[in-house]
Amino acid sequence: MSVPIEYYLLLSAFMFIVGVAGVLTRRNAIVVFMSVELMLNSANLTLITFSSFMGNPVGQLFVFFVMTVAAAEAAVGLAIIIALFRNKQTVNIDEINILKW
Amino acid sequence: MTLETILFILFAGIAATTSVLMITRSNIVIAALFLILNFGALAGLYLLLNAQFLAVTQVIVYAGAIMVLFLFVIMLLKPEHERSIYKIPGMKIFAFAIAFLVFVQLAYLILFSSSSEKVSPDVQASINAGTIETIGRELFTNYILPFEAAGFLLLAATIGALILAKKKIE
Amino acid sequence: MILEYLPILAVFGFAIVFALATVFSSEIFGPKRPNAEKLSTYESGMKPVGTTSERVSIKYYLIAMLFIIFDLEVVFIYPWAVQFKKLFNQQGISVFVSMVIFLVVLELGYLYVYKKGGFKWD
Repeated sequence: MSVPIEYYLLLSAFMFIVGVAGVLTRRNAIVVFMSVELMLNSANLTLITFSSFMGNPVGQLFVFFVMTVAAAEAAVGLAIIIALFRNKQTVNIDEINILKW
Repeated sequence: MTLETILFILFAGIAATTSVLMITRSNIVIAALFLILNFGALAGLYLLLNAQFLAVTQVIVYAGAIMVLFLFVIMLLKPEHERSIYKIPGMKIFAFAIAFLVFVQLAYLILFSSSSEKVSPDVQASINAGTIETIGRELFTNYILPFEAAGFLLLAATIGALILAKKKIE
Repeated sequence: MILEYLPILAVFGFAIVFALATVFSSEIFGPKRPNAEKLSTYESGMKPVGTTSERVSIKYYLIAMLFIIFDLEVVFIYPWAVQFKKLFNQQGISVFVSMVIFLVVLELGYLYVYKKGGFKWD
């Protein structure tokens, strides 16, 4: 535990921000989805950091459940992307604008 | 410099670089492979934080199962060239500026809250918290309801993904 | 603590060296006398048609999706199996019942996929 907690938190914040930038700038639905996974993982890193530095296992249990939710989310989200591609022949989120006012 | 510091710099460097590379590559397959490398580096960081069980779970579930699903879908949909319909000048720069601003705010909060003075890491407690025995004991005593709920979530995910992805259900 | 993982690191290093060596040693040591006939794509004597980036079938997605679900199931069973004896002595049969409920709920999804023909290959 010779590395201070701030470095882990800074790394986690950086990865989260990179995920945000990916969601904002990329137009491919799969890359947007992967950026969301990156943000989930940076939140996981924060939870594990605090759990480990405080010696409390509850944060790690949370990460365990987050992984379960992420797996379910990936399965359903990618199925939605497949269904979209089947109907519109594209995964470009600019062209999926049928619900846009 | 201790071994732990060197390993932290190594893993954190890999995680930070691969995350940036992931969002900047135009080839989706390469982006997905960088994301797998990122998850591997995160598993290394979890080991440094004494979370051994979650490090293994990260490799098995994230790098081994979820990213395989992503790669299958990428092969299924055949990566196309990415283009934006709405041409607003400076859109990307604006997005990166927003992201950078939020990062500065977060960094300010992290560095000026002086968290390392408030937490006093107890190495033995930290090692005990990460073992599979502790996780199993907590999971099957205090967190039994979320555990069963996770089962129902996975059931819903199975049925939902099947209905959404299958062309016609007989 | 972290030094206990040295054997795993050694296995990683060995795997990387082995993979790179097998891939590149044939490149380095193999004799090369290329001509146009040899460099063209070989497709059982036929002229090659189309590109190599064929779209794969949706069936692979269903298999990978089910793999994720059962992967997570195993990840949940593992800590349960490690702690089973201790928890069984403390709480009795309820720790067994909770895992049975979890498995039955997941097998319901499996049964549904089976009934809807998710495992049929054609």
